[in-house]
Amino acid sequence: MAKSINRYFQFIASSKNAKSSGRLWYPAADVYETPDGWLVKVELAGVSAEDIELEIQGNILTLAGCRKDRSCAVGFSYRQMEITYSHFEKILSFPASIEGASIEHNFENGLLLIRLYKRETA
Amino acid sequence: MAEENKQEQGQEIKSGNQGKQFEIAILPLQNTTLFPETVVPLAVGRSRSVKAVEAALATEEKLIACVTVKTPEIQGSDAKPIDLYEVGTLVNVKRMMRNDDVMQLIVQGVDRVKILYWSQEEPFLKAKVEVLPELEVVDHEEVEALKRNVQGMIQEALAMLPQVPPEVRMSVMSQNNPVQLSYFLASVLDLGVETEQKMLEANTTDDLLSLTHGALAKELEIMQIRSKIATEAQGEMDKAQRDYILRQQMKAIQKELGEGDEGGEKAEAAQLRERLETADLPDEIRKEAERELKRMEQLPQAAPDYHVIRTYLEYVLELPWKKSSEEKLDLNEAQKILDEDHYGLEDIKKRILESLAVVKLRPDSKSPIILFVGPPGVGKTSLGRSIARALGREFDRISLGGVRDEAELRGHRRTYVGAMPGRIIQTFRRVGVNNPVLMLDEIDKMGNDYRGDPAAALLEILDPAQNNTFRDHYLDLPFDLSKTFFIATANQLGPIPIPLRDRMEIIQLAGYSDQEKLNIAKQYLIPRQIKENGLQNDQIEITDDAVNLLTARYTREAGVRQLERTVGNLARKVALRVAQGNTEKVTITANEVKGFLGSPRFYPEEARAELPAGVATGMAWTEMGGEVLFIEATMLPGGGGLTLTGQLGEVMKESAQAARSYLWSHATEFGINPEMIKQNGIHVHVPAGAIPKDGPSAGVTMASAMASLYTGRKVRSDTAMTGEITLSGLVFPVGGIKEKVLSAHRAGIRRIILPERNESDIEEIPDDVRAELEIIPAKYISDVLSAALETEVSGPKGENYVIPETKHSDGTNEPLIAREK
Repeated sequence: MAKSINRYFQFIASSKNAKSSGRLWYPAADVYETPDGWLVKVELAGVSAEDIELEIQGNILTLAGCRKDRSCAVGFSYRQMEITYSHFEKILSFPASIEGASIEHNFENGLLLIRLYKRETA
Repeated sequence: MAEENKQEQGQEIKSGNQGKQFEIAILPLQNTTLFPETVVPLAVGRSRSVKAVEAALATEEKLIACVTVKTPEIQGSDAKPIDLYEVGTLVNVKRMMRNDDVMQLIVQGVDRVKILYWSQEEPFLKAKVEVLPELEVVDHEEVEALKRNVQGMIQEALAMLPQVPPEVRMSVMSQNNPVQLSYFLASVLDLGVETEQKMLEANTTDDLLSLTHGALAKELEIMQIRSKIATEAQGEMDKAQRDYILRQQMKAIQKELGEGDEGGEKAEAAQLRERLETADLPDEIRKEAERELKRMEQLPQAAPDYHVIRTYLEYVLELPWKKSSEEKLDLNEAQKILDEDHYGLEDIKKRILESLAVVKLRPDSKSPIILFVGPPGVGKTSLGRSIARALGREFDRISLGGVRDEAELRGHRRTYVGAMPGRIIQTFRRVGVNNPVLMLDEIDKMGNDYRGDPAAALLEILDPAQNNTFRDHYLDLPFDLSKTFFIATANQLGPIPIPLRDRMEIIQLAGYSDQEKLNIAKQYLIPRQIKENGLQNDQIEITDDAVNLLTARYTREAGVRQLERTVGNLARKVALRVAQGNTEKVTITANEVKGFLGSPRFYPEEARAELPAGVATGMAWTEMGGEVLFIEATMLPGGGGLTLTGQLGEVMKESAQAARSYLWSHATEFGINPEMIKQNGIHVHVPAGAIPKDGPSAGVTMASAMASLYTGRKVRSDTAMTGEITLSGLVFPVGGIKEKVLSAHRAGIRRIILPERNESDIEEIPDDVRAELEIIPAKYISDVLSAALETEVSGPKGENYVIPETKHSDGTNEPLIAREK
């Protein structure tokens, strides 16, 4: 039993934070505080922008989406698969409310960069 | 097209909506159930499964549904739709690695799905499925209670699993979502396909938690039992090891002390085995002993039974099962030994020699069982010793006086703590041979109570027909007593149960006469006491008349024990003088005895010079020998009936009544006026008043005393009498003649009236005594009276008492009976 528990935990990573099923992958993220707001850098290589949803609520920024494998064409056959293709969710909390901030985002070398500009009249 | 479909559906799944339906590849699983949220590695090798996985990997989201096979016997890849459960798990393939033809997968459960219908069987299974609703976590109290219980059990389980790393513990314990906790436990624990499937199919949190709870409880119990078994095994090993070390130390200590009989219990058992092998045992006994020894060898030395068995075996080995002492029976030698050891007792010696003769002629015959009955100090025990000496056998004695428990003779069963064999078997171990002369002393003094009757046990021991297989309770093995020469002694026959008496040859030893005592004193007692008190023969002399004085006035006994003590007393007084330097020879005569011993202690009843009318001399038997006693009768003028005093027993009272009735009915024959008997009461007293008396033998004496009173003729004072009377005037024989006559002789009586049928007993009386006596046999009371009463009327005749006037109808004053005559 102990062995199976250990084995389980090798893969489970931080699943204890999971809130519900269907969100199985947790991309790594960096958060910078900039003079005019925040810079959030998320490891989301291979995820197309249209598959990402952003949501702001109070001081919480929620990223959710799905990495889909679009390279596998008809007649292809996998030899090895190590990239996780599945739903993901990332919840980031900020020290202050970010509601109403203006958002910019773009992909840069497989990293999703999100810039949050504080509203002048916060 | 299909791809697009998938894409769409994928989007829908992502949004977390349940109830969506789509077509998907199915991976049948064997012996495993996957749960949402759990991550599991899988290996897929069969081509059908590989094709299903490949199809799944071809999709954008790498989804596949895993469904478990109902019966474990069926290979997952060969499974047909009918072999599969209807609810499975939608999983996301996270990693994949091909290794030759085997695909190593790591999958993570996403949702529960229900198969709606099968759309494809070849080349892989495909079905239309519907996503089942996620279990909602409601803060229901029952759910909370169950959850806490489950967490408690997990904690318990983890306590028994020290190898689980702490971070794992932490994460398990901090899992607050009961559904996820349940799924996790279900995938971790090996609960069996059926239970796992049930948990997967559970549609409410409540059901799921209950199932988890039950499964976990069961698992926990198994773990507890396993750990208990492990602990116990450990404990046993520890104890064994500890014992071993202690024993080694003990051996070392014993060796240092020089007590080290190499190797404790093994050696002990081996020693016993060696003894058993060399011992001369009957086959039956050997078999039993070997069985016990085997049992003992299997026991640890510390076991309580070990010592019980060891003691038992030692006992068995020490008993003389076959060992007998050699017999060297020479009858002449035996006669010599008996004569050496005992004076007189010619008759008894003759009977003993007769018994020995039989033993000599038929060595295999049953040994006789002799019972010596007689007063204390007459030499019963020493006769037994002499017999043993004459036979050349071992001698031992068992005193039965006061024994009242059957177990004393026959032992206690081995189940009792501290059980021992009975006295009989103990004696055999002591003497070491199986044919000793065994004396059972004081057989008449055994008691009995609710614990059993030792006399009943003796019945078996003393029965030659069955004592060859005597079973002691402790040994529980048949021991042969039939070669034993049993001699029992008793003071009285009365208390010995008749069946027991019946088994023995009874030899009566009467007391010694004064003459015999004198001889015994001269030949045995005085020389022995001189020696014991460290005197020389030329330093003391006790004259015959001094000895006679000692027997008559300083002792009162049938035997010679007190006499010997008194002689010893004299010897000590002389020894004191000698030790003080006065070495002159001391001659003790009758006159000097008083100076040494003080005043005489006894004043035996002596024949009275003259007896008044109404007093007769009787003779009584006591345990100490015989005695004379005087029966007194007196008239109670004007009184009535018969008064009897002097602690008389029932039988004696009745014989007094018989005497009176006889005299009354035959009054005229003896010249007695019946009116006198009728009108006056009579009182009979037998001194000494404090000593209880009983028995019929005073009948003639009472009759004589009453007749003397009524007739006024005195009873001759030199005459003593004994005998039972009947109403028809006959005189019946009585016992103890020898003692009675001896005591009467000692008291100075020279005429003895005995029942005619006791004549045979007269021979027992020593010749020297008999020569001085006139013995008158009596057949009827009239014989007694004519011999006992003087002829002339010298006392106050009964007629002198006031007799109320009795006028007969014819006016005469004569006695009625006389007149009728």
